[in-house]
Amino acid sequence: MANAIYNTLFRRNYTMLGAVFAGAFAFELGYDNVMNKIWDSHNRGRQWKDIRHKYVEAADEE
Amino acid sequence: MAPLSTVSRALARSAAAAAASSARAAAPTTTTTAVRAMSSTPALRDAASSSYESPFKGESKSSKVPDFSKYMSKGSGSTNALFSYFMVGTIGAISAAGAKSTVQEFLVNMSASADVLAMAKVEVDLATIPEGKNVVIKWRGKPVFIRHRTASEIDEANSINVASLRDPETDDQRVKKPEWLVMLGVCTHLGCVPIGEAGDYGGWFCPCHGSHYDISGRIRKGPAPLNLEIPAYDFSDDGKLVVG
Repeated sequence: MANAIYNTLFRRNYTMLGAVFAGAFAFELGYDNVMNKIWDSHNRGRQWKDIRHKYVEAADEE
Repeated sequence: MAPLSTVSRALARSAAAAAASSARAAAPTTTTTAVRAMSSTPALRDAASSSYESPFKGESKSSKVPDFSKYMSKGSGSTNALFSYFMVGTIGAISAAGAKSTVQEFLVNMSASADVLAMAKVEVDLATIPEGKNVVIKWRGKPVFIRHRTASEIDEANSINVASLRDPETDDQRVKKPEWLVMLGVCTHLGCVPIGEAGDYGGWFCPCHGSHYDISGRIRKGPAPLNLEIPAYDFSDDGKLVVG
């Protein structure tokens, strides 16, 4: 198992680099998602997207 | 380095002596090969498994090589390599993501913000402009002339010998749709705003220094060096003109 992973991913430099960049991409996606979720939950009810429905509906009625 | 090489030399010598004494009954050739093999292999393998005893009498305890086997990894070599490379790769991935994010945030910070972008485009409903009329709108603090040209005006703009112009441009190069002429209302001479439907050529006339522009906005007479500038614009599908 360990040998198989080592041989496929880390043995050659270019596969190692590819694995690192793919990992960086995945990590960034996940990290950004998590951080946005934390931010949104911390600022719940205070952002424009939370209160937008109040004002956009009022504008449509006019 | 000196103590280490001394120790390893001493080790090799003692091992060779032991090998020689045990193999004395055997042929002398095997002894020499054993010595050579012992001296070429690193002494660390033996020292790691058990504490090394110095052959010299009365040597102080501090010069003994301690037993490091307690600190050796219990896992196999391949697992250790996988773990090390995994950690290296993880650090590389995190640094790469961080570097990318740093560069990206700087570039995003330097680019135009949403309010600037909102001001940068102007939409005009072309249905409200009748044929043969001029409309002046403000775009990025400058006037923009929009003229709904008649067929005779288009013909007039096309009939001119381009080679005779000061700034030779055909009418096709200046418009996207022949009936709509869109251009920046700033005289190319010193930046006055020309007056529409005036001048000797039925186009625009700049009152500051008397530049005459024709119905395609090209300079025909007066001090201005260039034709009126064309801004970036596009026609949207629902009959609107978007400048910017």
